[in-house]
Amino acid sequence: MTAAITFTTVTCRYGRHTAVDAVDLDVAAGEHVALTGANGSGKTTLLRAALGLHPTAAGTVTVGGESARSGVEWARRRRDVAWVPQRLAPGRFPLLVDELLDSGGHPDAARAAARQLDVGGLGRRPLHTLSGGQLQRVFLARALGAVTAGARALFADEPTAALDFDGQEQVATLLAKLPVTVVVVSHDRAMTRACDRVAEMAAGKLRVI
Amino acid sequence: MDGFLDLLSLPAVQRSAIGLLIAAVGLPIVGVFIIGLDIIAVRFAMMHVALLGIAVGLLAGLDPMLCGLAACALAGAGVAPLARRPTGLPGAMGLLMTFAIAAALLVLSVSGVNATGAFELLWGSILATREIDLIVLGALTVVVHVLFWRWRRQLALLLFDRELALCSGVAAGPLLLALLVVVAVAIGASIRLTGALLVDALTVLPALGARNLGRSLRSIVLWAVVLGVVGNTAGFAVALLIDQPPGPVLVLVAGTLTLLTYLIPEGARDAIDPGRRTDRGGDPVAAGQRVWQH
Repeated sequence: MTAAITFTTVTCRYGRHTAVDAVDLDVAAGEHVALTGANGSGKTTLLRAALGLHPTAAGTVTVGGESARSGVEWARRRRDVAWVPQRLAPGRFPLLVDELLDSGGHPDAARAAARQLDVGGLGRRPLHTLSGGQLQRVFLARALGAVTAGARALFADEPTAALDFDGQEQVATLLAKLPVTVVVVSHDRAMTRACDRVAEMAAGKLRVI
Repeated sequence: MDGFLDLLSLPAVQRSAIGLLIAAVGLPIVGVFIIGLDIIAVRFAMMHVALLGIAVGLLAGLDPMLCGLAACALAGAGVAPLARRPTGLPGAMGLLMTFAIAAALLVLSVSGVNATGAFELLWGSILATREIDLIVLGALTVVVHVLFWRWRRQLALLLFDRELALCSGVAAGPLLLALLVVVAVAIGASIRLTGALLVDALTVLPALGARNLGRSLRSIVLWAVVLGVVGNTAGFAVALLIDQPPGPVLVLVAGTLTLLTYLIPEGARDAIDPGRRTDRGGDPVAAGQRVWQH
């Protein structure tokens, strides 16, 4: 099952700086949209706002027609949307790959995906010992587990930035086959080609190409 | 050796030994939480918060120690919202410490109670352990273990990255609140039970050593308890053998153990990891393949 995602005049600020400026974007259920744009144009902040990780100064984001305000609603939103972050905080304690895969909601599916993404044998490795590319593959595997567990959309923030060319193609093909709504921040041509639509952000504003 | 055995036959020494063993099983986990939350200054902060609570208790004619523990719990809960900021908690501990000591001195001045007397209520010694202290320590240990083992997966995510925890369905706010309250009360009570110096040896030192040995939160907690039990047993035995105060001897032994963990090479940690096991392998389940193979 997929969910339409609607951004309505979403505005986000860092102090006085407006990172996302009244963005409107409708993503149909099952549609795959690539967000491109220069560094600092507000792409990551927009995705983070949709997950409740950055406060919105104005506007709303709905997933499957549902907005989120209370803690319970945000928890439901985060179950509804699988997430591949751009980068992780270093963490004071090691987190094992298996622990990360389990956290997506469907450990078996995540492990199966990890094996097919060539990171299946890293289960007992702490995340900080992985290369950037391995870490991205592990996060993708986790997100695929989350989709199997019932997530109806996927937000991926530069999921191929640390991958080699073959890896970029592999992940682009993989995401193109996903039967859920996808919003992916990417500068990778293979990825943007695999999407139904490309939207570009510049200085916090959005224009659809 | 006869003197050592004679000392061990004394009820006060036996109570101290039992108290140290109970503390070694529970308090190192509190230390793991402290390091995970980056609040090593919590001991100083809670000492002063407890003093403020004692001062309020003396002023209001209530049980001062209960007021001290209540103040610690409230302070722990009060700083929880600051955890949303990247440097919120470490800074909050410094703020709490200075704020609490100033408020405590003011309350003591207003109430006319001698500050030294209030401090004495707070200052404990492991050799003065009473049966009620053992019960309190035991209860604390049970609470800490329940908190860890019941929510260890969620805690592993939370202590690694709050946002990852949130996006994994972890109720990060309530869990962090529980964590801070348990840490604050455990530290406040431990200072009363064992003395301020020993609190570090029982909490932070085993956790620091364990971080050098474990490869996951679970294995770090197991190592912390092992180091706590070994450090406390050895430290207390040495203190009795050389007839010196147990507090400083225990700290030195625990500190030496912690230092030794820094000498263990990175590659050897795999071999000694208590959570070590072979890769689960096995066939991918059909559900796992469904999403992205069709």
